Amino acid sequence: MKKKLLAAVLCLAMALTTVACGSSNTTDSTESSADQTTGDTASSGESGSNTVVVAMGSGFSTLDPGYVYEKYPPLVINACYENLFKFYTNDGAPEPCLADTYEFSEDGLTLTVNLKQDVTFASGNPMTSADVAFSINRCKNLQGNPSFICDTIESIETPDDYTVVFHLTQQDSAILSKLTYSSLAVLDSEVVKANGGTDAEDASTTDTAQDYLNTTSAGSGMYVMTSYIPDQEVVLEKNPNYWGEATNVDKYILQIQPDSNTQMMTLSTGDIDIAMNMTDDTMAELEGQENVALINAPTKTVGFVMMNMNEEYGGPVSDPQVQLAIRKALNYENFKTICGEGTTTPYSIIQVGFMGSKGEKAADYTNVEEAKQILADAGYPDGFDIDMTVTDLDMEGVPLTDLAQLIKSDLAQIGINVNIVSEPWAAGYGDAYRDGTLGFTVMYWATDYNDPNVQLEFLPGKTVGLRAGWTEEMDPELSALYDEAMAATDNDARIAVLEQIQDDTYENGPFIMVAQAPAHIAYNTRLEGVTNSDPYSLDLTLINIVE
Amino acid sequence: MLHAIKKLFKSNYLFTLGVIICLAWILAAVFAPFIAPYDPIAQDITLRLQPPSPEHWFGTDSFGQDIFSRVIYGGRYSLLAGCLTVVIAGIIGTFYGAIAGYVGGTTDNVMMRISEMILSFPSLILAMIINAVMGSNLFNTMFALVIVAWPTYARLMRSVVLSVKENEYVTASEALGASKLRILVKEIIPNSISSVLIMATTDIGNQILMFSTLSFLGLGSAPPTPEWGMMVSDGVDYFNKFWVAGFPGLAIFTMAVGANFIGDGLRDLLDPKLRKQF
Repeated sequence: MKKKLLAAVLCLAMALTTVACGSSNTTDSTESSADQTTGDTASSGESGSNTVVVAMGSGFSTLDPGYVYEKYPPLVINACYENLFKFYTNDGAPEPCLADTYEFSEDGLTLTVNLKQDVTFASGNPMTSADVAFSINRCKNLQGNPSFICDTIESIETPDDYTVVFHLTQQDSAILSKLTYSSLAVLDSEVVKANGGTDAEDASTTDTAQDYLNTTSAGSGMYVMTSYIPDQEVVLEKNPNYWGEATNVDKYILQIQPDSNTQMMTLSTGDIDIAMNMTDDTMAELEGQENVALINAPTKTVGFVMMNMNEEYGGPVSDPQVQLAIRKALNYENFKTICGEGTTTPYSIIQVGFMGSKGEKAADYTNVEEAKQILADAGYPDGFDIDMTVTDLDMEGVPLTDLAQLIKSDLAQIGINVNIVSEPWAAGYGDAYRDGTLGFTVMYWATDYNDPNVQLEFLPGKTVGLRAGWTEEMDPELSALYDEAMAATDNDARIAVLEQIQDDTYENGPFIMVAQAPAHIAYNTRLEGVTNSDPYSLDLTLINIVE
Repeated sequence: MLHAIKKLFKSNYLFTLGVIICLAWILAAVFAPFIAPYDPIAQDITLRLQPPSPEHWFGTDSFGQDIFSRVIYGGRYSLLAGCLTVVIAGIIGTFYGAIAGYVGGTTDNVMMRISEMILSFPSLILAMIINAVMGSNLFNTMFALVIVAWPTYARLMRSVVLSVKENEYVTASEALGASKLRILVKEIIPNSISSVLIMATTDIGNQILMFSTLSFLGLGSAPPTPEWGMMVSDGVDYFNKFWVAGFPGLAIFTMAVGANFIGDGLRDLLDPKLRKQF
């Protein structure tokens, strides 16, 4: 009998292992970083209350501005470095930062920037036009992931110490936004050169400054990076030589804590001050708690349905009428519920929050009866069966398979029977997506830099458009608007073109934007100035401790 | 035999319990459309994450799908995967082991080294790799489980065959001029099969757990298929809503325990020697 009892206990243990094993790939690292938390805050508690601890969900492969191209590096780079331009508010236009004034030439092919003259780096070196040219040329010549951002910069001229002239290959209305991107942060060229950096054309093979820039920073920002332990934490301390006005936070400890439950618990115990990766559920737990404030705001990461225009791959969904029926059948309110509070559905291909955005899609857009009628007129009165390929990625914490399940359920109502096929990114989905051979899928798009022009890639003949088999010949009028949008440097003119583009893609084309994923941030109320920031995730230079 | 089974029911309550549990699950799976009150994949977002209530006995999940209906349907996949994996792995293992053991020599050496090669991998990791490479669906998951499971059967079979083939009746058949194949099929396998059967019954529970583990990790059918492991993994995101992961977890637990109780009882029945040893 004892043996039986033992067997029963063992079975229970095995059943539990199923749960434990599975979750280990998401929580293992959390546990270790949670240990880290307790250790660190103990020490930070001693060093005074002007330390702020931030928990974020993922780490980075590098913190060398010339190479950064992930979600969280801009948070660090923005605190330690500065750019010519910066987004001071979340939905505004870029404003001068290290730049003082700027001017476009009449043909839009030359941009002249006058620099501020009183800026010094953390090392004490003055910031000059040579540093600007070095930083941007280095990023371009490193040929790393973000180098494409310099594609429209043909050459840089420095007539004097405080003037930089950009010669562009074509009119580029997004150039100011591009200059705000972390990869084009202005480096202290003297320090970086002394540590192996170069901006020569062969920089991709001869530059060796990455190791140095992974351990410390060499910028003019409010903070200096003093330690970086990959996948664990980054420590930033106040730059004693900061040229501008600084906030009253002396030190930041940025910790990597992938699990939102851990972040929730460490925030409620006061071990951390800002939790970047809450979920709807963990936010609900914190609601009403003293000393904790919550932010739900839409990000510019957007989930979209893609229907291939090429009949070979898309089959029935390559038919524009079927595409319209699907557009009408989806219940966008459900996407908002599943993605969580703060989610929004954009009017068309440009996200809410971008300059020129036409805002949200009307809440009563969905019309199942009309969708059925359109489908019947298109020759499918009884619907059809179709495979929908989905990959194993998350859109800001929302699994794409969750979006696919909603689509399946909505389309079932108009007779389209969707069969969800899951395919790992590495096992073929990634290639098929880039090659444009996927017929019907749901994917997400995170913006490269904070400018509505990144959305123009969804137009026919452009990068994402081609992934849906949408060539320029299919819609020449819309394609022409691309050039027009690139050429408009005046804000009013830009907005006019962008609105035109949104209207033209409202019920036309192979893409349906279903939801802009929300950011859920929770923070201790001893801080003020914590806001969701699209370009930087969180702008550390705006945060103060309330005494 | 029938008498022995009756005795087993009377004397071994855990076996009886195991049979009742498994029978209940099998009936639930077979008659799922009649038992389940809702369509297992029908969504109602307005009713998401409802706690257990008279309308939804086990509550609802994040899509507003009825968890009770999903658990009832989910038994189909787990039972199918558990039983089919064991049957296929058992058949492959039996023949493989019998051939290796009976033929002996270099053939035996080569065959057993191949099976040990598979055994030397951690089984869960190997199953995950196979699944990741081939793509994940129900069939591939079962295929991966079979690949991982058969060498154990082969080893067991071989060790039994090694002793059985020394018996006089085998020598007698050889002397009478029976072909090797005939001896293998008519004499050796029937006389060695009982230990494989015992192992197979206890293994069903393990395979159900393995299958659930794989689908928990996202290596099974695509959602919204109601698979227990996948349902548990959905629930992990809802920390404070016990019913989302709890009920499918309980289903895995009872099914695995039931299968193990039956396996234990059958072992007692088929192998009295083993029982005395303990």
